Formats: sequence, structure tokens, C-alpha cells
Amino acid sequence: MPEIRLEGIRKRYGSIKAADDLELSVKDGEYICLLGPTGAGKTTALRIIAGLTEPDSGKVFFDDHDVTDMEPEDRKAVLLSQSYSLFPHMTVAENVLFGPNIRNWSEEARIKTLANMLDLVRLTRRSDAYPKELSGGMQQRTALARALASGAEVLLLDEPLRALDARLRISLRYELRSLAKSLGITTIHVTHDQDEALVMADRIAVIRNGKIQQIGTPIEVFERPISPFVANFLGQSNFFQGSVTYVNGRTEVRDEQGRTVAAGTANVEVGERVAVGIKVGNTEITKEHDGYLQGIVERTLFEGRDVFVDVMVAGLGRFSSRIPAGRSGEFSVGDKVSIDWSPEKATVFRLKDRSLDDELRVE
Amino acid sequence: MPDVEMKDITMRWGNVIAAEDVNLKIQDGEYVTILGPSGCGKTTLVRIIAGILKQTKGGVYIDGKNMADVPTEERDIGYVFQNIALFPHLDVMENVSYGPRVRDVKKPEWERISHKYLELVKLLDKMKMFPSELCGGEQQKVSLARALSTGARLLLLDEPLSALDARVRVDLRYELRRLVKSLGLTTLHVTHDQEEAMSVSDRIVLMRSGRIVESDTPETMYMRPKSIFAAYFIGETNLLEGSIKKTDAAATTVELRDGTLIEVATTDFREGDPVVISVRPEYVYPAVAGIHAIVSSVTFVGTHFRIVAVADSDDKVEFDVPATVEREYNKGDDVNLTIDKRSAIVYARTPGELGEATKLE
Repeated sequence: MPEIRLEGIRKRYGSIKAADDLELSVKDGEYICLLGPTGAGKTTALRIIAGLTEPDSGKVFFDDHDVTDMEPEDRKAVLLSQSYSLFPHMTVAENVLFGPNIRNWSEEARIKTLANMLDLVRLTRRSDAYPKELSGGMQQRTALARALASGAEVLLLDEPLRALDARLRISLRYELRSLAKSLGITTIHVTHDQDEALVMADRIAVIRNGKIQQIGTPIEVFERPISPFVANFLGQSNFFQGSVTYVNGRTEVRDEQGRTVAAGTANVEVGERVAVGIKVGNTEITKEHDGYLQGIVERTLFEGRDVFVDVMVAGLGRFSSRIPAGRSGEFSVGDKVSIDWSPEKATVFRLKDRSLDDELRVE
Repeated sequence: MPDVEMKDITMRWGNVIAAEDVNLKIQDGEYVTILGPSGCGKTTLVRIIAGILKQTKGGVYIDGKNMADVPTEERDIGYVFQNIALFPHLDVMENVSYGPRVRDVKKPEWERISHKYLELVKLLDKMKMFPSELCGGEQQKVSLARALSTGARLLLLDEPLSALDARVRVDLRYELRRLVKSLGLTTLHVTHDQEEAMSVSDRIVLMRSGRIVESDTPETMYMRPKSIFAAYFIGETNLLEGSIKKTDAAATTVELRDGTLIEVATTDFREGDPVVISVRPEYVYPAVAGIHAIVSSVTFVGTHFRIVAVADSDDKVEFDVPATVEREYNKGDDVNLTIDKRSAIVYARTPGELGEATKLE
């Protein structure tokens, strides 16, 4: 299966930069998730790789061949849209055989491919059904089988699980990934759902305003985010802004009100303006001892296994903490609590002259 | 604000039963969510309450009054859909004031009303913008303000957050609940998203195949679900098959298919009864002894790793370990697991039921 490389891709729609010097390199057989908010340029990137959108400048390589000017049908890359776009008047089998039929494959090759593909996506018993008779998950598997039957070597998935029920979506994550992995096919999966990306990807590329902000394994992007945006988009973070007062092994940051917090080591200098980001899941709230910050419980939100406790910190805003539901009885609205964290779990970001709000903006 | 009651509602489309004998009462000011998989009949129920669909059988009562001959526009309902349906050629203010204006409310009054709701959804500063200039979350807030400005006292929300990005969706849940609670509205919200249902509602009504499976507060529904389907659909759970080995006042012991014994809180089952233990991944812990299993996958999911293992009894067991834990887990590792016995729930197991209960489509 091919490797894919994007070099200096630019694409503008009026004043909007859908791709702004986009660079991306995907290995043979790799499963990449392109993660970002609506309007970040995810779908544009996918369409440029598929050959459905022409970039203003830049180049697309498949295995070191420049395919920038190649027709979509010659690329062996298939884009699966959110809506699956199956032919409604054709059965599952006819949909799957659409590619082989127009390419005039032999009868024998067609029968063999159909049987293999239906077996792969577990739809052998539904081969005579029409798309509207199938559930969302089955329609998606049919679309996948159709893409694979036409000899796709690169799978481009545009929010493949979006149209499905929440509970089903969680079950199908593992299934879709293991299917792609078992075929060894190179896959680029576009999503706005960070949980989906964490669970499914070999590497996650976080995209914003047409640029890749960070690319790395799920652990890398989650635990070592390079910007406040990445820290907040993967796993939601709380932020504290101030000036660096101490650097040596760990970093201390003080805000205008004189509150000092500690974070992990960072390449910053004393006096520099920074933001400290702490993942909601690493933010502890306690009544037992004094933490870095003091606040009042503003609300609690039950979500099943976890409860989110939001604490209002004077002059700083809302800090959220995620605690196991079993501990939810410890805190009620109005309680005075302390907020604490392990310094090595807090990340320091240089702000320079940028505002944190702009750094975090999602839409 | 009104209470709403559905009595013996049945809805048929030819052979297909979209709702069957549904009885549901929503109290004045209550926030109820109907949760269920696609095709379970939840949207049908909302449309029947709105008067957009006419039920085959049964009655809808709002504040005790039979709605049989009351048209949609006289039911005082605010309706928000998944597909955001704003007028594209009208600005935010014009969209929100549309309801009062077609009802001939005069200018200072409709302005006051529209301001009130735009303030509630925190969009006063964007009232001159057009829908296309707003992001998805903001558009859906405008839809909400528009639904409320008509003077609606009953709010019907049909997958109001489904079209939005995951992050925006989570933020809007808070807003939605805060808003309807501050106005004291009676709300019926339809969703397929269990987390959404748990975080916004006073009460969840779980539906499947046109019927109500069970109905309770989010906490009870998650911690003590009455059916295997509820345990499996709302949150994730491990289902271990076995039979009752012994039971007394102190505890019940279940024997798994490989002979492993598991002690749980006492139950009313009798020795020999076929059962299923349901235990959520967060209540399964690695231990020195207990259920022996082989790790089949390890996935990083943020602050923890999700480990899937296959027990000697052939049951699949999922559990989580914090990302900070020293021990590294790999595929093929041997593990021993224990469960928190108070959090485990035992259900009767009938042939074929487990497969049926865990079918999602």
C-alpha cells in the first residue's frame, strides 16, 4: 500500500485558508486520524488527497510519485463520505460490484471478490438487500466493501461514524480499525471527536485553520501537547496565566493576584508570560488540604462513570475536574474547595503576545 | 408550566409498530430525556405530542386537557430539531422575533421578548448577524431562542445537539439545562447519546422497539439498571455468564463457565439459576487472584488505558488502569481480576436473551 506525502499544500476559498502550507506524511499501512473542529480544513485535505479538489499550490505524492495532476480514478484512493453515497436502487451485491463491473472484470474474478468482500464486512446474508433496508452500520460496511472491491489501496474516511448512534459508534471504532489494519491499507480518517481519534489512530494529526498543529501517537499528543489548543482539544484542559518566577526541574508561574502554581519542566525564562494547562482528568479538587487555587463549587454534571465538578475561582474563571461517580457525594454546589495537581501533569505554553482565548478558539 | 401525559399511545405504519402502549407522564417543570437506538420510536413520540403525527390509538393530555382536536400551533410548544432550520435571509434578531411578530405582537414588546431570550442564550452581541455568519453551536442557540420567544411553555428537543462537533456539544449541554431550568420549562428531549441524556435530564426514559424499557433518574439508571439492555446501552459494561453456586443472607456466589467463583452482594436467586453478572469496567481491578484472563488489547484513551482481556470462562472483560500506573500491560499478558461486589448486578439469564440485549442495530 502506498505512502502518502503532502508538501506545501495551499487552498483558499475567498478569504478562508482551507489549507495553509499543509504538510503531512503517512506511512504504508498506517491509520492516521486527522482531528480538528468544523472548518479546520479536514475535508479539504482529504479531497485533495483523493484528487477531488485541486490545490492552489503544493504537491501530493503517493510512494514518491507526484500524483497532483492525476485523475481521482487513477489514484487507487477512495473517499468515503459521511453519507456513504450508496446507489439506492442497487442491492448490496450490486453496489459492491459496481467498480469491477465498469472495469469489465471476468465473471470468476467478480464472484470471488464479492464473496471475499461480503465475508469481510459480515454482510453475506444481506447481499440482496437494498441500502434503505439496512441499518446505518451496515450501510457503512457496504460502502467500505464497495471501496475495497474497486481495488482501493488508500482509504480516506470523512467522519465515517458520525451518522451512527452514540453507543454503536463506540462499538464500531474497534471494528473499523481492525478491518483496515487486517487489510494493511493506508487510512486517513477525519474526525472532530477526540475520543474516537485516541482510540483508533496510530498517529493523530491535529489540524486547525488549514495547518497541522501537531502530529504524534495518541499518548504524545495527549500528554505532551505543543499548544494550548491541542491541550484543550484533546481531553479538555484548565488554564492558568501568569509570569514565570522560577525554572529549575519544575516551573513556577505567578499571576497578577499573586497566586503561584507549579508545572513540569519547560523551556521558558523567568519573567516570560505563559499559560499553564492542566487536563481536567488530572485536576484534583479537595477539602482536605490547601492546593494551588481556592474556589467555590459552581455545578456538578453527572455523566455516568464520571462526574464533572466545576469550580469558580475568583478572578480566574471556571476550573473543571473529573472525578469517579462514586466520589460525587463529597462535593455540593456552594462548597469551598481547593484545586491541586501534580506539577509534572501541568504543561507550560509560551504565549508571547498572543491571547489565550485566541489560542483556544474552537469555531 | 404544563404537565404532559401520554396514555396508551400506539403508532403503526402498516406492519411496522413505531410505538406500542406507551404510557408516560412528564411533571410540570421536569426535564425528561427519551433515550434509545435509531428506530426505537422516540422521534415518533415527540411528533405525536407536537401534533405533527396523529397516533393510531391512545391520547395526549397537556395540563389534563385532551389534545385530540388541538392543532400544533395552539399547543404552546417550542420545537428544536437536529437540522438547524433558521431563516437564512433573516438576521438573528429577525429570526428570534419571528414568532411574536406573526402573532401580531407590537414592536416594543417583541423587541423586549427577543432581547430577553437572546440574552439568555448569550447572543445579544450577535443579533445583527446572519445564520451563515454564525458557527453551528451559535445557530442552534438561535433556534432555541426562537422556539422560546413564541411563549412556549413546553419545549420539545429532537436530537438538538447531534449535528454539532463533539466539543461544542458538551459545552451546549450545560447551557441547555441551565436555560430550561431557569425558565422552569417542561422539557422533553430525544437523543441516542447516553452521555447527553445523563448530563441534562432529571429523568431518563429508555426506549427500544417502540416500547419503554425503563425510566429513572440518571444516577439510578447508571448504577442500578433493571435490565441487561439498560446496563449495556447506558454506559459500557462487562457481562459474565454463569449460574448461582450458593446464596445466603450475607452474599451470593456465582460460578462462571470455567468454574471460577465470584462473590457479589446477596440476591433473591436460588442455587442453580442461570444468571449474568453486569459490572462496569471502572469496577474491575487487577489483583493477585480472581478471574484469570489473557490481555487481548491495550488502548490509550486519555487519562487511562482501556484493557480488553478474555477470561478463562470465555467472557470478555474490559477494565481501565490509570495512565500513571507503573505496570505496563501488553497483549498476551496474564492478569487476575476482581470486581467490586457492591457495584455488580446479577440478572436472570434466559436462552438467547444476552445476544438480543446487546444488539445495537
